[in-house]
Amino acid sequence: MATTACFIIVSRNDIPIYEAEVGSAVKKEDAAHQHQFILHAALDIVQDLAWTTSAMFLKATDRFNDLVVSVYVTAGHILNILMLLHDSRNEDGIKSFFQEVHELYIKILLNPLYLPGSRITSSHFDTKVRALARKYL
Amino acid sequence: MTNYLAQFQAIKNASDRIVVAVEDVSELWPIVKEKFEEKLPFKKASLNNKTRNPVYIENLPAEFILTTDARLRSRVPQELSLFWFREPYATIILVSCEDLDEFKTILKPRLKLIVQNDEREWFIVFVSKALPDNDQATKLAKKVYSRLEVDFSTKKRERCCKFDLHGNDSSFWEDLESKIVESIRNTLDRRVQFYEEEVRKLTEQRFMPVWSFSNFFILKESLAFMFEMVHLYEDALREYDELELCYLETVNTSPIKQREFGGFDHGDDQAMLLKPDHKPLTQFIQNDSFREFEFRQYLFACQSKLLFKLSRPAEVSTRGYSFIINYSKLLASHENDLPFCLREIWVITACLAIIKYTTFHYDGGLVTAEVEKEFYRLQGDFFSLSRVKFMRLAYLIGHGAEIDKSPVNSAELSMLPWPRPAVWPLVPPDVSSEIFEKEKIMLQSNPTAEHFGIQRKALPLEPSSLLREANRRRASLSTPNLSDLSDGRQNLKDGSGVGGSSRFSPQNKERSSSMPRTYSSPMNIESSHVVLDRPMRLSEIQVASEHALKKTLSDPDLWTSLSSKQNFEKKYMELTKGAADNYHRSWWKRHAVALDGEIAAVYFRHGDFDLAANSYEKVCALYAGEGWHDLLADVLPYLAECQKILNDEAGYLSSCVRLLSMDDGLFLTKERQTFQSEVVRLAHSEMKNPVPLDVSSLITFSGTHGPPLELCDGDSGTLSVTVWSGFPDDIILESLNLTLTVTFTADEGINAIKCSNVTILKPGRNTIILDLPPQQPGSYVLGVLTGQIGHLRFRSHSFSKGGPPDSDDFMSYEKPVKPVLKVFKPRPLVDISAAVSSALLMNEVQWVGMVVKPINYSLRGSILHIDTGPELDIKNSQMIEIENSSVFVQDSPNLVDTEITRNDANLESCGNHKRLVLENGKIELPDWASNVTTIVWLPVCATDKKLSRGTSAACPQRQSVLDGMRIVALKLEFGASRNQKFERTVAVHFTDPFHISTRITDRGNDGALLLQVILHSQVKATLTIYDVWLDLQEGFEHIHKDSGRPSSSFFPLVISPSSRASILFSICLTNMVPGVVSDALQSDSILNIKYGISGERTTGAHEPVSESSDGSKVELHFKSAIFLQRPVLDPCLAVGFLPFPSDCLRVGQLVRMEWRVERLKETESLSSTGNDEVLYEVDASSENWMIAGRKRGHVSLCSKRGSRIVVTVTCIPLVSGYVHPPHLGLPDVGKANIRCNPPGPHLVCVLPPMLSSSYCVPI
Repeated sequence: MATTACFIIVSRNDIPIYEAEVGSAVKKEDAAHQHQFILHAALDIVQDLAWTTSAMFLKATDRFNDLVVSVYVTAGHILNILMLLHDSRNEDGIKSFFQEVHELYIKILLNPLYLPGSRITSSHFDTKVRALARKYL
Repeated sequence: MTNYLAQFQAIKNASDRIVVAVEDVSELWPIVKEKFEEKLPFKKASLNNKTRNPVYIENLPAEFILTTDARLRSRVPQELSLFWFREPYATIILVSCEDLDEFKTILKPRLKLIVQNDEREWFIVFVSKALPDNDQATKLAKKVYSRLEVDFSTKKRERCCKFDLHGNDSSFWEDLESKIVESIRNTLDRRVQFYEEEVRKLTEQRFMPVWSFSNFFILKESLAFMFEMVHLYEDALREYDELELCYLETVNTSPIKQREFGGFDHGDDQAMLLKPDHKPLTQFIQNDSFREFEFRQYLFACQSKLLFKLSRPAEVSTRGYSFIINYSKLLASHENDLPFCLREIWVITACLAIIKYTTFHYDGGLVTAEVEKEFYRLQGDFFSLSRVKFMRLAYLIGHGAEIDKSPVNSAELSMLPWPRPAVWPLVPPDVSSEIFEKEKIMLQSNPTAEHFGIQRKALPLEPSSLLREANRRRASLSTPNLSDLSDGRQNLKDGSGVGGSSRFSPQNKERSSSMPRTYSSPMNIESSHVVLDRPMRLSEIQVASEHALKKTLSDPDLWTSLSSKQNFEKKYMELTKGAADNYHRSWWKRHAVALDGEIAAVYFRHGDFDLAANSYEKVCALYAGEGWHDLLADVLPYLAECQKILNDEAGYLSSCVRLLSMDDGLFLTKERQTFQSEVVRLAHSEMKNPVPLDVSSLITFSGTHGPPLELCDGDSGTLSVTVWSGFPDDIILESLNLTLTVTFTADEGINAIKCSNVTILKPGRNTIILDLPPQQPGSYVLGVLTGQIGHLRFRSHSFSKGGPPDSDDFMSYEKPVKPVLKVFKPRPLVDISAAVSSALLMNEVQWVGMVVKPINYSLRGSILHIDTGPELDIKNSQMIEIENSSVFVQDSPNLVDTEITRNDANLESCGNHKRLVLENGKIELPDWASNVTTIVWLPVCATDKKLSRGTSAACPQRQSVLDGMRIVALKLEFGASRNQKFERTVAVHFTDPFHISTRITDRGNDGALLLQVILHSQVKATLTIYDVWLDLQEGFEHIHKDSGRPSSSFFPLVISPSSRASILFSICLTNMVPGVVSDALQSDSILNIKYGISGERTTGAHEPVSESSDGSKVELHFKSAIFLQRPVLDPCLAVGFLPFPSDCLRVGQLVRMEWRVERLKETESLSSTGNDEVLYEVDASSENWMIAGRKRGHVSLCSKRGSRIVVTVTCIPLVSGYVHPPHLGLPDVGKANIRCNPPGPHLVCVLPPMLSSSYCVPI
């Protein structure tokens, strides 16, 4: 399992709707802050990159010292982006992680009570994502 | 071959263009040199590149060198094919000959000799010196030239051209240039082929032990250089790329050779990325060993030089960035051996150099937008990279306090490992004063003031504790334990505030912060300095790093930037700004804006709050716009602080509101309370320009759950609204207003409703009750919430929290706005009608029923105003009764509804019957009557002063209904606040119980009359007649002279509703004295009826209301006047008008008028008086008639029947026309006794007077 991993779902308009620190490393409270910052800055690259390819999994789009930002773009209304900041090199695992989280996300979207674009607060979703992270990352 | 390196470099430096050799056979060069050199460089050249494809080159530079020149002669021919690139590419043989023989004998053999060497590309230029006017010479020259052509030109190739020294020569120069270029092309092809062959050979031997990279390098470089010389930069670049590739392969695949890495020379810290000739090759290539440090930079420099020549500075950036990254990694792997921080310094200088050169070469034209974006992005990357490294260096030498602990810096620095020298630099001797200085600075530097008391842990700027790292790398020390570092940590906390202590528990922290600062006193340092094995303290580390850095750093500018705090900040600012600007240009707004925040932080520290606020606003706008609240929470307090200092009250307030409206987890409750207190403080202060504040994110509202409030038109009500407050504490709102917006109507109906009294909002959910004035019909949704906190007006647009933030894009997701209020269109809410339509008794107190029927609307608390019209009184002594109408069946259209209502009413208030008191003309309806149909019974009395009159049965003249109509005006005030009004005027019909008609049924000879009085019952009630009597008028009397009562034992007589009864009276005429009739005391007979009535008030007339309800039948008295007319056919006298004697009457002509008066019967009464005279009177209009004679007088008339007399009066008509004739009246005789027979004419015609001719005198 990756020591550092920060997973985030960004809805269109670049609004983060779900964040989770899924790394196994001891949680530093300031790290989350940094991770958010790195992921936010990586959106600059994603916005350039997302339209150049038809692939959903954009692999490692940005590197920050030892950390890598992997991105998975869903076929959302305009763009829904799943972003993962991680230090592991297991690309296949990350891809599987993204795919399964995408499925979970679609299930959330199908919930009639969920307003697309709003924050995902489902604890069930959170648990599942963390389980997936343990499995794949 | 390595030995040739120096020579190679010298040659390379010396030759920068291709050489064209000139073999000056006939000593002509001095004459033509100038003209030849004028044509340089060659305008157009078509050369073949490495792949044998033609490439057109403009302005190919070249140089003409005589073969006798020292530069060419000094060379040993074919000395080294390696340096072939500098050999002439073409040979021009300049000849001139004016004699054919001379040519044959001397020149030709000589030329043959020269051109023998086939290696060279040669051609002959024949210079004709002949003047144009000298035909012979010209001819001769032509001959010689043609000879020359025959001898040297072949079919394949023209090797001759003729130059007329004095002639027109434009075609010659073209010819010459093409020939030279052809030669160059051929030579180049051959040489390329040669080099390629060589390279191929070497490549084949590559894995042999004898193989040397330097040979390969020289070959490749020569080839590349040759390409460069002929301006085939693309090919040259390719060669360099291949060379680099090969080098990297060689470096990576031959680990046997331990090569020197390099980087120890002075100035090596400065990247020589763009200066290929910065160091001579020999310096880093020795004995087939290439120092990687220099060589790779050299290769890159060569490549970038070519790229600049190709006008591709953007590519230099691209390649440069990856080169710097890779190279930096390479440096990191050799960091142990390299000077302290060389890597960092190298990266800074490399980045700055690339920025400088690429910016210089980049003109921005002729590139696509994509390339431009990419270029600026890379510039930004370079700036950013150099900025990070610069910060790292600054941090090491103790400028850490000047670096903002923002997420950017923290992320960049805390993940960047420390420099890893083999041994951390030691503290040089005699620097205790410097250490002391550092200590002082550390102690003096204030921890940054926290705004709003936000206790945020500072983000780390170190990957791990510097203290630990530095001490660990000291050779003589093992890793120090924590206790050794405790004082150092103290410094960290107080001074640079490094987050290395974040791992310690809070208790530990508190204890450490409460430690006395004397721990790091100079005394301590002095003592510690002596002991070398003691772990270094932070100040020592910094001083040591500074000294080590000074040694490494060769760039004075960079050192200046690091030497003082001010210079550091200046450079830091320059780099940050550069990065931000370039990122902005490349549309990487997130990167750029983050750096803007850094710039703002510097401005903020320097007190440039205006600029800082500007930059912070940009940052906040981005983070807020994209909803990254964690990041926003970091910056917003600074913006707020700036605005506070700048006195930007509006901005400050909105910032405070934004701070308050952030997610709960981002700030502590205490901090949030501080924000609130700031808002409240400002709100209550005297603001210069009070601005409305948007608190949409903080105070949200929605209608209550459930169906909307439904109101009828005109009704007021109360609307309950749920308001969520995001304030951490209770907040007092001086006022609170809400607007309601009409939906689904064309006109923009916006109404404000108010909750004017002070409201206190608790944190979280509040329910506010708002008074609702009457609204127009329609469906309403909540609009805007406005209100006041202190002097501050605020407004909120948003509904409930939890949804996505408001933006245009989310319109499609917006929840359908739920109406909170529905006001129905006006409809009848209540109906009031008369309960009974049949007539009631006049002049008696009767119950008038008013049916009050609510139509699905509550009449609770309603008031009924009753106003009676004229001739109708409400008997105040009587109580008004109200009862349920359940017993009263009404055929209303919505019978079903009333049924239901009735049933309900039956359940709860069956038989409800209440008495109400009328006060000031109004009554209040009881509550039980609010939803049921009720009847209000009013005791009223209609008065009618007129006596009812009987009519003759012969001509039944019914009484007008209107006479009995009385009006009751009713006004019902009802609704929640009695806002609804219902007015109705109810007509009530009153009538007498009977209608009397009479007729004479029979007439006796004795003058007795049988008078039948018919009683029509007019009411829907049973009438019982107890007694009837008739008071007769003058001139009539009852036959039996009794009281006028019919002596009948039929009484009581019962008359059913609407039926008739009749009573007979026997009366006779009495004699009347004429003259007495006129002033009759009683002109009418009066019929008196005593009767009783039994009826229901629900059907019509009923017993009069009486206070004493003892149950005994009340006898009512009804009077009706009957006019009895005496029989009139009883004339005594007849007056006849005798006709005029003449046909026509004329004005002024006398006329006799005659009336005949005849006595028709004898009158005893008159005769008894003995008066036979009759009084006559002529009545005529004095305007029309002049009467001659007595107008009035007595004539005697015999009292015998049949006696007659003629009364004559002479009159003169005065006016012509139709006029009334005079009339004879008998004043003493009643009109009834006079009969006019024949009657006089009504009008007579009077002609105008005859024309008088008496004054006309005949001639």
